[in-house]
Amino acid sequence: MRIDIEDLHIAYAGRTVVSGACLVAAEGEITGLVGPNGSGKSTLLRTVYRHLRPVAGRVLLAGTDIRELSPARSARHVAALPQERGSEFELTVREVVAMGRTPYKRAFTGDNAADRDIAARALADVGMAEAAGRRFTALSGGERQRVLLARAFAQDPDVLVLDEPTNHLDVRHQVELLALLRAQRRTTLVSLHDLNAAASVCDRLHVLQEGTVVASGPPREVVTPELMAEVFGVRAAVVDHPLTGDPLIAFDHRTPAGGRTAPALEANPAG
Amino acid sequence: MLDTLSAPRRAAAKTPGEARTVPAGLVAAVLGLALLAALTAAVSWGSTSIPPSEVWSVVGRRLTGEPPRPGTDDLIVWQLRVPRALLAALVGAGLGLVGTAVQALVRNPLADPYLLGISNGASLGAVAAIVLGLGAGGALGLGLSGAAFLGALGTFALVWTVARRGGGFAPLRLVLAGVAIGQFLSGFTSYLVLQTGDEQQTHSVLFWLMGSLSGASWPVLAVPAVAVPAALLWLHARGRGLNALLMGDETAAGLGVDVTRLRRELFTVTSVLTGVLVAVSGAIAFVALMVPHACRLVVGGDHRRLLPVSALFGALLLVVVDIVCRTAMDTQELPVGVVTSLIGAPALLYLLDRRLGSGS
Repeated sequence: MRIDIEDLHIAYAGRTVVSGACLVAAEGEITGLVGPNGSGKSTLLRTVYRHLRPVAGRVLLAGTDIRELSPARSARHVAALPQERGSEFELTVREVVAMGRTPYKRAFTGDNAADRDIAARALADVGMAEAAGRRFTALSGGERQRVLLARAFAQDPDVLVLDEPTNHLDVRHQVELLALLRAQRRTTLVSLHDLNAAASVCDRLHVLQEGTVVASGPPREVVTPELMAEVFGVRAAVVDHPLTGDPLIAFDHRTPAGGRTAPALEANPAG
Repeated sequence: MLDTLSAPRRAAAKTPGEARTVPAGLVAAVLGLALLAALTAAVSWGSTSIPPSEVWSVVGRRLTGEPPRPGTDDLIVWQLRVPRALLAALVGAGLGLVGTAVQALVRNPLADPYLLGISNGASLGAVAAIVLGLGAGGALGLGLSGAAFLGALGTFALVWTVARRGGGFAPLRLVLAGVAIGQFLSGFTSYLVLQTGDEQQTHSVLFWLMGSLSGASWPVLAVPAVAVPAALLWLHARGRGLNALLMGDETAAGLGVDVTRLRRELFTVTSVLTGVLVAVSGAIAFVALMVPHACRLVVGGDHRRLLPVSALFGALLLVVVDIVCRTAMDTQELPVGVVTSLIGAPALLYLLDRRLGSGS
């Protein structure tokens, strides 16, 4: 299923955060949202998984406005992995993953064999099958994130919405998680902080700046030195990755954008 | 045989953090039997001891509609002790439920209606209704429950607002706001009671602020007998939503839970239940805090198991505590809140140490 976001306006805590965003997440593709802090990535995603209500505009799920669906019905199609990292309560990994079945269940109905199968498969997909009986709070950050992803898989969604899924993960866990997403081949809408990761795993990128989409397209077209300077305010060269051939953004960590050197250095060029 | 016994233990040692939960059905069955035994003991023990066989024979006659045998046993058992034991069970079950619900609602395992000041708000509502002459609102005390409900709702809203200033729910901030507001309200309640000049005033203050089951009678049981089972059913029906809420509002929304609506409903239900319980038993400390904690350790955090087990364990706990209160001293009985505080305060310190002392 594809997601169309049409002229979306969202206010959060009394402030307009997204104004007139339009984008498409195509069927079976990984669509990346990138942009500086505060550009509205998370807010936009929260509207797709119905934590926030838009002021104007629509989110279409295969052509249907999600607000015409009940919360449970749209949750059968769209699963979210928000930035929230869990709970102090005594839930087991199995219970956390089983929560993915929530949108399919009425009151007073327990999980049946099919639900347990789906949850077990989801946990196996993220390589955490052995952890089923452990307490969620006893897991490491990387393990927790994988379990939460399994919970999203257990929702058996057509669309995955992930908000900075690699945050707080070490590089190996980042790579594993992104590989897992690619292997799923579901329609995926993901915000990523790491531009190189985004350029490498996404089929298409949308760049957000101050609540609007300022660039869209395949990573190779979007990720340019000009865009890095204009949107992110950094100097960068874009080269081919020596191992994968993906676009690789080599940031200049010494000099701010526009070629101006730091004031202290300018004042004393000899130093 | 030895192998099957030691295998799970070895597995548990191998994987740290392995949750060892007991099947909820077994726990519920054990608690149910223990509750039955405790209720029998509660009716049997007291200033006059009545053998359990006689207890059940009196109850049996009453339930089957046979004329009661003449004598004082029927009076003591049926009119005094059975309503009191049942009230203890109902209030305990209600406290177990309301504690579980409040902890999920504020996503804070250190919360309960007493610590958050909600019980004191309910007490103030009830006392204000009495002082203003609104009376008990009919034989069933619906008016008193209603006033207590309004007090609970108002206090909950106030504590919520204060704790949320600055965004989010820092666990300690919530508890401190609740304790401060609760103390303020209980001071106000004491003042209202004392200025009536009622000669029962000291006893009344104790009732509303420490909690007591001494007001038990058959009519008093009516409202909680409806409200507590109804709350159990209502909460259990939303068990999955409550589970999702534990993971966070966004996660719950992503799982198709209408978070705003569920929160609003939980707010109302916990206030109603607190109002009903306080109207019949005053503000009883710590039971609602401890019971869900203890039950989570045994059956885990899934609300569909936790809620019924918490209700049963709360009932058992309060029936046992009330036996202690009635029999500890020869001359008079202790308010039930005295004993729950003696058990609960150390338990709270332990929890604080585990949660805050470890720096997490």
